Amino acid sequence: MTLTQVAQKDFEDAVRSKMVWGTIGVFVAFMGFVILVASSTTDGADASGGAALGLTAQLSQLFVPLVALIVGYMAIVGERRSGSLRVLLTYPHSRRDIVFGKLLGRSGVIAITVGVGSTLSLLVATLLVAAPDVGNTAGLVGSIILFGVAFTGVAVGISASVRSRGQAMALAIGSLLVCLLVWDAATAGVYAAITGSLPGLEVEAWYLLLKRLSPVGAFRVIANGFVSGQLGPLFQAGLEQIPQDATSVQRQLSNRVSGPLPFYLTSWFAGVTLIAWAVVPTAFGYLQFKRADI
Amino acid sequence: MSAIQTRGLTKRYSGGLFGSDVTAVSDLDLAVERGEVYGFLGPNGAGKSTTIDMLLSYSFPTDGTVEIFGQNIRTNPEVIEQRVGVLPEGYGLYDRLSGRRNLEFAVEWQDANDDPAHLLTRVGLDADDADRPVADYSKGMTQRLALAMALVDDPDLLVLDEPSSGLDPNGVQRLRDIIRNEASDGTTVFFSSHVLSQVEAVCDRVGILDDGELVAVDTVAGLRETAGASSTLTLTMENPPSPETVKGDGVSSVSVRGNQLRVTCTDSRAKARVVARLVDHGHSPVDVGSEEASLAEIFRDYVHDGRTHDDGKPASGREPQQQEVVV
Repeated sequence: MTLTQVAQKDFEDAVRSKMVWGTIGVFVAFMGFVILVASSTTDGADASGGAALGLTAQLSQLFVPLVALIVGYMAIVGERRSGSLRVLLTYPHSRRDIVFGKLLGRSGVIAITVGVGSTLSLLVATLLVAAPDVGNTAGLVGSIILFGVAFTGVAVGISASVRSRGQAMALAIGSLLVCLLVWDAATAGVYAAITGSLPGLEVEAWYLLLKRLSPVGAFRVIANGFVSGQLGPLFQAGLEQIPQDATSVQRQLSNRVSGPLPFYLTSWFAGVTLIAWAVVPTAFGYLQFKRADI
Repeated sequence: MSAIQTRGLTKRYSGGLFGSDVTAVSDLDLAVERGEVYGFLGPNGAGKSTTIDMLLSYSFPTDGTVEIFGQNIRTNPEVIEQRVGVLPEGYGLYDRLSGRRNLEFAVEWQDANDDPAHLLTRVGLDADDADRPVADYSKGMTQRLALAMALVDDPDLLVLDEPSSGLDPNGVQRLRDIIRNEASDGTTVFFSSHVLSQVEAVCDRVGILDDGELVAVDTVAGLRETAGASSTLTLTMENPPSPETVKGDGVSSVSVRGNQLRVTCTDSRAKARVVARLVDHGHSPVDVGSEEASLAEIFRDYVHDGRTHDDGKPASGREPQQQEVVV
């Protein structure tokens, strides 16, 4: 199975790179710092482990895609520029093995990076504040890893489809901005264009689906299951007209759409969405790469 | 069945919206027989690497086909992985891993049972060096390691793109030995070079590529003959005999300058006969010097001043007698 051989070599090589360890270091240091500051501003007795989980989830929305794109965007185009791809291709590795093997290898690297990073951050929180619930911690770390893998798919897809580092970097930054800033706004815009008003407390089910089709939106859905619904978009821009005094019961998903909750608004569907983000962009990248002169 | 057979192989690069198209390789019919050592010569930019890239599926031809051991590489790409050992141009190794680890990966991937230590010895890379990360290697050491990786699993066809670049004279000699050794085991060797002495020393046949077209294919001796090149024997005598004494087969002209006898031979084997004839006649030379028309000159004839005619002969048909040989 040459796909796993490519993955193994890629993993071994990437793990030796200082970049990966540096990224974990920055990740842990930053998260730890923010948790520290946040916990010192709240009353020590009230600061719960659950709040630390919520904060970790909130920050992950920005950091996990960033780390995954940094680790993944050079996966293939880097080897194409350095010429090691030429060596890889003379062995019984097809181009398909290389692209999907890279996806596997980098996913492993990302799983370790964000898994170790978020676990360490939560350990800092445990020592400084209070221990969060073990089950929720494991669930959140798991969803962060899945989120990281989804963006690894985006990064490897980009890396397979371009010829230069500059193009890869531009697309990586672009995809990050689209997912974090543009997606929710564009969805609200589409909603306004179709229904004539911005989304309010009660909305059409398809609007919520559109929001969750972005990897960040899907991550929010899954992670919210472990942080008791405290996780909102990183950048709130008044896209939804929800009254200030709306109760948390009114804000619940089942109360925002009419009728029974459709299957595509369940958590597991969001999980499938993240897996699709890991695979589909890479598959598109492969279609480009298959025909490319290297 | 040839080791390599291309038919009408063409590679055109689109010039974009405003540029004009560039044809890097045009209608190339290349035939490399099994077991031969084939030197692929040409100046920089002639299309050698473009051709090799297409032979190895690094890039895809605009037109034409490539067969390796009778298998079309488009439909049977596995023939390359299974039977060809490659030292590509512009390759890169995994810098952070040691040389030995890089080689171990190659052995593992190829599902071969080569002993990495043995391969390292063959290419002349020290065991100490093999344990260092490849990032610390000099160009020559990297080249040796890449050659070792190409030799993994005893390929039936070795494709070497500019294999001698970066090697010191010692390394070049070793490369030559390895090529000869592989060839004597029946391996076909196809290598490109612009270092002519390399090609001359080991090749059975030479193909000269210029501007994307194959302008000549022949043995080194054959090319020499076609280009009218020759070798010159300079004999220093105490008492030079009359030129008639040494005239014979393969001798095209004889001249006497002071105590030197200059004999131009069209066949290099004639040189020994000339010396033998002189000794038979009681004229022992004080000193014997020999100058060979190098492939460099033939190459120049084909590529530069000699834009070829349709018959494949160089345009500048120089007379053998006029050959001034500079080595």
